[in-house]
Amino acid sequence: MVTNQQQVKFYEDMVRVMLWEQRAMRLMQEGKVLAGYHSGRGQEAIPVGAITPLRDSDCIMYAHRGFGYTIQKGMSMVDMFADLMANVGGSTGGLGAGIPHFADPKLGILGQGGTLGTCFPIAAGAGFSAKYRGTDEVTICFFGDGTSNRGTFHEALNVASIWKLPVIWICENNRYAVSVPSEKSTAGRIVDRAIGYGIPGRSVDGMDVVSVYEEVTEAIDRARSGEGPTLIEAECYRFRGHHEGDPQVYREDGEIDEWRRRDPIESHRQRLIDNEVAAAEQLDGLQAQMASEVELAAQEAENFPMPGPERVFQGV
Amino acid sequence: MSDDSNAPLNVRTFSQAISDALDEELARDDSVFIWGEDIGTYGGIYGATGGLFEKHGPERVIDTPISETFIVGGGLGAALTGLRPVVELQSGGYFGIAMDELYNKVARWRYMHGGKFTVPMVVRLPEGAKGAGQEHDVSPEALFLSAFGAEIVIPSTPADAKGLLKSAIRDDRPVLFFEHAVLYATSGPIPPGDHLVPIGVADIKRPGSDVTVIAWSRMVIEALKAAEELDSEGIDIEVVDPRGLRPLDKDTIFESVEKTGRVVIAHEAPKTGGAGGEVAAIIAEEMIECLEAPIVRVASKDVTLPQSRHLQQYVLPQAAQIVDAVRSIS
Repeated sequence: MVTNQQQVKFYEDMVRVMLWEQRAMRLMQEGKVLAGYHSGRGQEAIPVGAITPLRDSDCIMYAHRGFGYTIQKGMSMVDMFADLMANVGGSTGGLGAGIPHFADPKLGILGQGGTLGTCFPIAAGAGFSAKYRGTDEVTICFFGDGTSNRGTFHEALNVASIWKLPVIWICENNRYAVSVPSEKSTAGRIVDRAIGYGIPGRSVDGMDVVSVYEEVTEAIDRARSGEGPTLIEAECYRFRGHHEGDPQVYREDGEIDEWRRRDPIESHRQRLIDNEVAAAEQLDGLQAQMASEVELAAQEAENFPMPGPERVFQGV
Repeated sequence: MSDDSNAPLNVRTFSQAISDALDEELARDDSVFIWGEDIGTYGGIYGATGGLFEKHGPERVIDTPISETFIVGGGLGAALTGLRPVVELQSGGYFGIAMDELYNKVARWRYMHGGKFTVPMVVRLPEGAKGAGQEHDVSPEALFLSAFGAEIVIPSTPADAKGLLKSAIRDDRPVLFFEHAVLYATSGPIPPGDHLVPIGVADIKRPGSDVTVIAWSRMVIEALKAAEELDSEGIDIEVVDPRGLRPLDKDTIFESVEKTGRVVIAHEAPKTGGAGGEVAAIIAEEMIECLEAPIVRVASKDVTLPQSRHLQQYVLPQAAQIVDAVRSIS
């Protein structure tokens, strides 16, 4: 059972992720971010619900949609804003820009590849490592429905199954691989591939943070106790384009309005109020608090200088 | 190990030298493990991992599925989380299957994540012509010249193979370790004890005064054969084995070129796109005033290597081509 306190925390965390992105977009509009961005609006329940049960020593390979993964795993929002602006305050020390390769070994944030599908073998290797070192650490690998069609998916899920690696594969099925709808690119249901690998497959409502949390918690328990990997398919929808500036000509009429009614943050808020877990005023207060936390982080991040030419040859 | 009981203890084949290095490093450091296709009970298709499975067990000497993106990418995941993987691509020709993992990930992960990680990983790539077909018989080292995070190491003797591999395993940077398959059966003396060869230091395989022959991998053997023939003609060549391409030991190369003023560069990869072009350009850029003749490259012909061994003799460079090249500038 999820405690009331945790229910409220889910709201706080999802709001933080949403507001961080809103603030990041303002920086983009102001011309302070010199690269593109892939919004995660609408999918906040997945990183928040899935990462909440992890420990610092557990690892993640995050997807490129939004920054909920790294915020939830504990990265400093100042560092992340600074990464977007590619100044020296960023976690990458100024290598960043719009799609920074955030990483923090101490928080188990293993980074991300710019070529989709990279995540699968690396996550399997991290899972192998946890087992080899005799720990009960787990790794979560986040990816989209489009990425599930890479060959690396097969190589990694096959080996994770035969070696019983402690990896939770979480597919965020938001129905589009950039512009191509899932039914035109993806055979069968992604979750059903678990049957072929002989591992548990679970389908979950990716718009519901509590469902995501509960399903992932069970998968983590199985992984920690040596039972191996789980494939989870979270049904969801992205509210903005693939990237900022995407004309989104591929969406069907009315589709987005239908999904917006299932907004993961709004629906969770309504549930908290309806179940008398929290009052609207309390949640408004939390939202204001998150807004000021995010604003302070953004302002602090803007104060750092840009790196000089010496940065180019550091950390090669 | 698959010991040849007739050989004196300090003489080992190239493949034994590889397995000796792996054996010693597995014994020394628990974080070292090895995986690849058929490297376990089978001992590797070139015998370079023979006996290790029995000695170090299935947890540390691991047979993988035929999954090259996992072999390399999974190794990276392990390297990022505290281990020191030594992974084998059964044929260096499989580099293309795992090129994203090798070039974009293993080599770049540290840099693109702000230097937050070390990537203490070795990728062993058997290379070179051995009669296994066009896709296997490749020498792709030059393709990785622009994969800047990775070191490129290429031994030519059993002693170098052992000492360089042990250094590579202890190195915190990723190392692409190229082993010419024809060399596996060659043998040579190996210094006793914990034999380490530093990465990025060239070795003068034969001192000489007239022409510098920069050669690596199998072409070192060919250059030494050429040296004997040329010696009888009164031409004294110096054979410089860079033992890898990154870091490139420019000092040793420049010192030799300063002495001789004449340069031949020999490698098995085709001339076009081969690393000889890069080495030649570095010499030309930095010390053209020392050159008394044009730089000559000896390499495979610019064609896909035919599978027929009969036709391969018309494509692959041998000692004779080095002899001709040296004569042409002497």
